[in-house]
Amino acid sequence: MSATVDPITRSVVQHRLSSIVKEMGEAMLRTSYSQILNSSRDFSLAICDTGGRLIAQADHLPVHVGALPWATLAVEQRFKDVAPGDVILLNDPYHGGSHLPDLTAFVPVFAGGRRLLWTIVRAHQSDIGGATHGAYNPAATEIYQEGLRVPPIKLYEAGKLRDDLLDLLALNIRNPREFRGDLAAMLGAAQLGERRLARLFSEFGAPVVEAAMEAILDATEQQTRAVVSTWKDGVFHGEAFLDDDGHGRSDIRIAAKVTKNGSDVEVDLSQSDPQSTSFVNSSHANMQAAVAMAFAYLIDAEIPKNSGALRPLKVIARQGTVVWADPGRPVTLCTSHPSNEIVEAIVKALSASCPERAMAGWSRRFRIAIQGEDPRTGRNFIWHLFQARPGGGASSGGDGWSSIGEWHSVGGLKFGSLEVAEARFPLHFRHHEFRAGSGGDGQFRGGLGVALDLVLETEKPAKGNTAGDGARHGPCGMLGGEDGKPHHYRLLSEGRAPRVLRTKEVGIELRPGDCLEIRSSGGGGWGPPAKRSEQARRRDREQGLIDAAAERLSE
Amino acid sequence: MMFRIGVDVGGTYTDLVATDEAGRTVFAKSPSTPADQSIGVMAGLDELARRLNVTRAAMLAATDRLVHGTTVATNALLERKGAKVALLTTAGHRDVIEMREGLKPDRYDLRSPPPEPLVPRERRFGVRERLKADGEVLIPLDPGSLDDAIAGIEKSGATSVAVCFLHSYLDPVHELAAVARLAQALPGVSISRSSDVLPQIKEYERVSTTIVNACVEPVVRRYLTNLETRLGEAGFRGSLFVVLSHGGMAPVEEAARLAAGTVLSGPAGGMSGGRRCAELVGIPDLVPFDMGGTSTDISLISGGQASLSADGMLAGQRIALRSLDIASIAAGGGSIASVDAGRTLRVGPESAGAVPGPACYGNGGQAATVTDANVVLGYLDAAAFMGGRRPLDRAAAEAAIDRVADAMSLSRIEAAAGICRMINLNMADGIRLMTLRRGVDPRKFALLSFGGAAGLHAAEVARELEIRRIIVPTVASVLSAWGMLTSDLRYEVSRTHYGAGARITAGEVRGLFSQLEQQAAGRLRSWFKGPIAIERSAEMRYGEQIFEIDVSLDGLDWNAADLVDRIEHHFHARHEELYTYASPGQEVVFVNARVAAVGKVPRLDSDMKPAPSSQACVPRGRRQAFLGGWRELPVYALDDLRPGQTLAGPAIIEAETTTVLVDAGDRVTVNALGWLDIELR
Repeated sequence: MSATVDPITRSVVQHRLSSIVKEMGEAMLRTSYSQILNSSRDFSLAICDTGGRLIAQADHLPVHVGALPWATLAVEQRFKDVAPGDVILLNDPYHGGSHLPDLTAFVPVFAGGRRLLWTIVRAHQSDIGGATHGAYNPAATEIYQEGLRVPPIKLYEAGKLRDDLLDLLALNIRNPREFRGDLAAMLGAAQLGERRLARLFSEFGAPVVEAAMEAILDATEQQTRAVVSTWKDGVFHGEAFLDDDGHGRSDIRIAAKVTKNGSDVEVDLSQSDPQSTSFVNSSHANMQAAVAMAFAYLIDAEIPKNSGALRPLKVIARQGTVVWADPGRPVTLCTSHPSNEIVEAIVKALSASCPERAMAGWSRRFRIAIQGEDPRTGRNFIWHLFQARPGGGASSGGDGWSSIGEWHSVGGLKFGSLEVAEARFPLHFRHHEFRAGSGGDGQFRGGLGVALDLVLETEKPAKGNTAGDGARHGPCGMLGGEDGKPHHYRLLSEGRAPRVLRTKEVGIELRPGDCLEIRSSGGGGWGPPAKRSEQARRRDREQGLIDAAAERLSE
Repeated sequence: MMFRIGVDVGGTYTDLVATDEAGRTVFAKSPSTPADQSIGVMAGLDELARRLNVTRAAMLAATDRLVHGTTVATNALLERKGAKVALLTTAGHRDVIEMREGLKPDRYDLRSPPPEPLVPRERRFGVRERLKADGEVLIPLDPGSLDDAIAGIEKSGATSVAVCFLHSYLDPVHELAAVARLAQALPGVSISRSSDVLPQIKEYERVSTTIVNACVEPVVRRYLTNLETRLGEAGFRGSLFVVLSHGGMAPVEEAARLAAGTVLSGPAGGMSGGRRCAELVGIPDLVPFDMGGTSTDISLISGGQASLSADGMLAGQRIALRSLDIASIAAGGGSIASVDAGRTLRVGPESAGAVPGPACYGNGGQAATVTDANVVLGYLDAAAFMGGRRPLDRAAAEAAIDRVADAMSLSRIEAAAGICRMINLNMADGIRLMTLRRGVDPRKFALLSFGGAAGLHAAEVARELEIRRIIVPTVASVLSAWGMLTSDLRYEVSRTHYGAGARITAGEVRGLFSQLEQQAAGRLRSWFKGPIAIERSAEMRYGEQIFEIDVSLDGLDWNAADLVDRIEHHFHARHEELYTYASPGQEVVFVNARVAAVGKVPRLDSDMKPAPSSQACVPRGRRQAFLGGWRELPVYALDDLRPGQTLAGPAIIEAETTTVLVDAGDRVTVNALGWLDIELR
């Protein structure tokens, strides 16, 4: 790497790299097939080098991106013989993946006969086979019950599709047409990135681009260290809890010991609780991603989120704990849980080091899926809850965002139109407004969750499944701020006593006319409530945001 | 003599163009007057009359049509100076606009507080009523809760009310009843009704658009009424039309009713101008590239047509009315260059604006801008800027660029060249994303360069995109006002079809469209006596998808027995064009029917054809400019160039309000209209 590069060329290359991943994202959004991708945008794009360093990424889902270097390393380890035109796929959490639904495609980029980069597309598949539709299986006790495992495989060899392999994958997935459509979109986006990178190499010459990439990572590292060195030194502790694993264990602890020294940060998660028998475990790559995500939230928004930004960060964890499960354990919930708890424990620990930066807790994810028959068409439907988005945490910058999401998605998931949902599904959204009183009190108030009363308009009973957490532990308050109200979902059914729904249930019996009373959590508050201005409190009252009497809408 | 006049009010200048039956075209520019735009318009008309050698009264008396592009609605939204709005909506659903469908920009910025919604929660009132997804009344409108809400609105001091109930696009019965009661109880307030503004499924789009309409309607109405009065007093007896965001024009009453549809009024004129240029030069695929002081507007003309989109967003507000697909990028002559903590050069999105402006304006601006870089590089003649009326301060430009250079340990020239490079990349990226979204390849397009700052950057932007041809019209500096003169009258209606999961039938399609056609043509007929053309389109999607695509249905045989198959075939084809694949086996859902009634306005042949010349071009002078190294470039005056002449780069071509940089190896041909047709090497 002897070529030197002037700062303008470096700026130009950096701009190009980020515009290439942006274009890949646009292509993905425009060509993907399933709703989870084209509407809810559950995908991410990146460029990594052959050493697994993240060179550029687009602003998609933070929890994906920090995991991609590990996936790249797994690919590099498996294949020494990569040729132009190869396409590699993987999803297995024990071969560099995060959880099974996140399928990842890699396209190699060559310049002057040398392989230099990968363009990478990770996308959450709406199904990946296994015991339950959509892979979230609270009952799973081993990964085989969660879906199809794909170690690094070559789907294309030197430009030639291995269609026998594609048939094998598609055969194991419930909606093969959607799967093939989404896969085509992923490959299209990755190949677009490859073409654009090839042009970048030919314009500047590979040595200049390589030198520019080194310089970009170095500059980002400097920028990050400059920020970190302003934080207070010391050893700090933070913890967060999972409600339960659905298999009898509750209050599973994630413990972060964070040592901040100069411009270095060491995160030690090794004192976290032992692994679970259920899907609340994290894979190694996902744990790394969660730590990177916490760190990325605390540094400046403007700093490019590449491997240079993560150089000051060292991660220590122990295999066999809930943050790094032994091979074979189920892990599907991990991109939300324990990711959210890992982030929260780290941010909490560092709140003593950089209080102005530490935001209060964002929410946890509590899913519901309903499967039944639509009486208008006689056809089966599957509906996933994206509405009733929970609240975001407050920060030194002000009150939290309401109805915005969880730590791992932070406003990146769109819930769409209720009118469309009512037209497409036999569901009646009777009430869908902010959940007053749900935001944690503080100098700055947590964002509000949502109160949703959802009435089932089927003629036959339907089945519900849940998957998630955060019905016991609300998003944490920060620096004297109060916790946000946790999720609280109930099933109201005529002739049956109202029942609180647990976060990990399979086969809930839903009858026509039943009402799901969904109260999603509010974000945590920041700073002592005593410091909240009178004016802000008056606004809260005028807007009806803190009137807890509005809680029970259904009665 | 009969005149037609186009008036485009921009942020800094009001541009005016007049044409007469003989094809004579006269331009004028006059400073805009943001507090009351009509003052600047009247002053501009004075100037225009002076250039026509007639009195303003005589000119206006002889003008049969005045077409106006206004930024009144745009500014009211950007500056939050619209009406105080209250929302009347279905009880239990007050927070739709503040939820924003759960989306937030800037994934890694978790410390910025949420934006204030246009209507705060205490002015959002729920009414007990509910329709179901098939239009059936589930809960009848409750008069008591309506009266409570109206009392609340009165108490809130709101001067304009948006009324938007769930599923009202299927049946406006409750909205109409609420509006009637509201009008009776509060006769002074303006009312915008969602089933009138945007009768379409998707409540976030509908409620947001209706609120924006309620916010700008009183402001737009006041302004247009005022302008109409002033024009009348000044002797104007013709028709005043306003250009709407969809590129068509409408009379004052209609523009005020659908005021949210005027937010792109000015740029829409630019698109009309672009389309006219495409016609005149015979290039059907053009990228209009309008670079100004603070922003660059880009769009596409493909096959001679500008496309419409309903994805609009302005000042953080969702406006789902169909508008011309114009992307505005925060990049312009005033964009500020800065060096971040990682010593990376950034240019924009911050702009020095008009005040203080670039450092070289000498108004106290310290920041280094793109214009300062252009001065340092010798591209702009400091002494001759704006025809010498506003000379630039070269020393101030150099000092500003030096601050950037020092921060990066570069020379002044390297820094200035770097700034230009970065801004050109920003703009090329914007064009690339736009073409990607539309499924077209930019390489087969020509760049249409207009707007004051475009000429210096067009060649590099084109090269970045592998575009080989650039057109610079002589009307470049007033293209929007000029384009407005070629706008047609247009009235659009749409309706959502609810099919309960069943495929739409040919009978339903015919019924839906014939109703809409009658409605649209009937309305247009009240303003326009000429022939009316009907454009039909539909928004459809695959069963499992959630966003629709707009499919033109023009040219279909409406009597065909397999009408629905044919419509679906158009959908598959368009889907493939946009997204690279189609799924012919899959269920197709028909969502919205759209009809536009278009009143074609006869065009005046407004194009000057200067006398050709076979002489070689003669430069007016020479000056030093930096093109990888300092070179002495010939400087030509655009006014001196004649059709048929050619010249080779490197060269600089100057006009009063714009400068064009021609790179080494590029060739310029002056076309029959006197415009520059630049072929890149």
